[in-house]
Amino acid sequence: MDLLYFEDLPPGEVVEYGERTVTAEEIVEFAREFDPQPFHLDEAAARASAAGGLIASGWHSAALMMRMNCDALFLRAASQGSPGIESIDWLKPVRPGDRLSVRRTTISARVSRSRPDVGVVEGRFELLNQNREVVMRLQGPLFIRRRPNGETQT
Amino acid sequence: MIGMWYEDHEVGQTASLGAHRFTREAIVDFASKFDPQPFHLDEEAAAKSIFGGLCASGWHTVSVSMRLLVDGRRAQRQALAANGEKPPPLGLGRGVRDLRWPAPVRPGDVIAFSLRVESLRETRRPDWGLIGMRIAGVNQDGREVCAYTLMGLAARRLA
Repeated sequence: MDLLYFEDLPPGEVVEYGERTVTAEEIVEFAREFDPQPFHLDEAAARASAAGGLIASGWHSAALMMRMNCDALFLRAASQGSPGIESIDWLKPVRPGDRLSVRRTTISARVSRSRPDVGVVEGRFELLNQNREVVMRLQGPLFIRRRPNGETQT
Repeated sequence: MIGMWYEDHEVGQTASLGAHRFTREAIVDFASKFDPQPFHLDEEAAAKSIFGGLCASGWHTVSVSMRLLVDGRRAQRQALAANGEKPPPLGLGRGVRDLRWPAPVRPGDVIAFSLRVESLRETRRPDWGLIGMRIAGVNQDGREVCAYTLMGLAARRLA
């Protein structure tokens, strides 16, 4: 597969990718290791809580989005990392059986002032469920190399 | 130690969350599930990468900080219960602001996490307040490896 460069993520672009059905077992497995609160561990305890039923840890949702971003973008991009993430919003619960996908939007793109061979892409990543509801939104910049001179776009 | 109810919090309060040692095995295990970029999986590929060696996924680092936060709260809830006091209902997280990973976490690194109460805000619901907590992780050399502001709901005592 061809490497993706800065020029391949133009402003205004919206793409969707990934599909991942979340099971109760993996919600509980992640929570046991990283977020062992009752509403991530046990259906009965979760029903009695503010969550109203078993829900995935927000960090689990973030990790699942990262996996889909890796498979669709980061593993095939001339990525130079990210200086950080501006915001993550957990908007709706992720429940067992939910089918998740990602919608990525390029908000803006510019060439780095200090590194002219690198572009800065301001991206919005939304985690969607099977009802097309946005369950999580993540926003932040990506550093990605510009297409080298002489290399043609495919 | 900071209390568990919304009203127990004041801007500027700090608390230690404890420390965690990141093993190579755990770094690779997390990355193979959620962040399979070469510099999190393979020493040789990592040596040639921008990180110059194997390092933990940033998502692994923040997930571990959550575990330490939850463990501390659970101990507090148990202490309250042992005193015959009813612990507050658990609040859900709303989101994260300004998440940074300024330095890599390497196999064998011991990361000490801390929190600082950064903001307090009442919500439209009388039973929950919104707390902003700056959580930071520092390695054994005193270098910050991650920092973020966790926005979470806390139950109000005066509900």
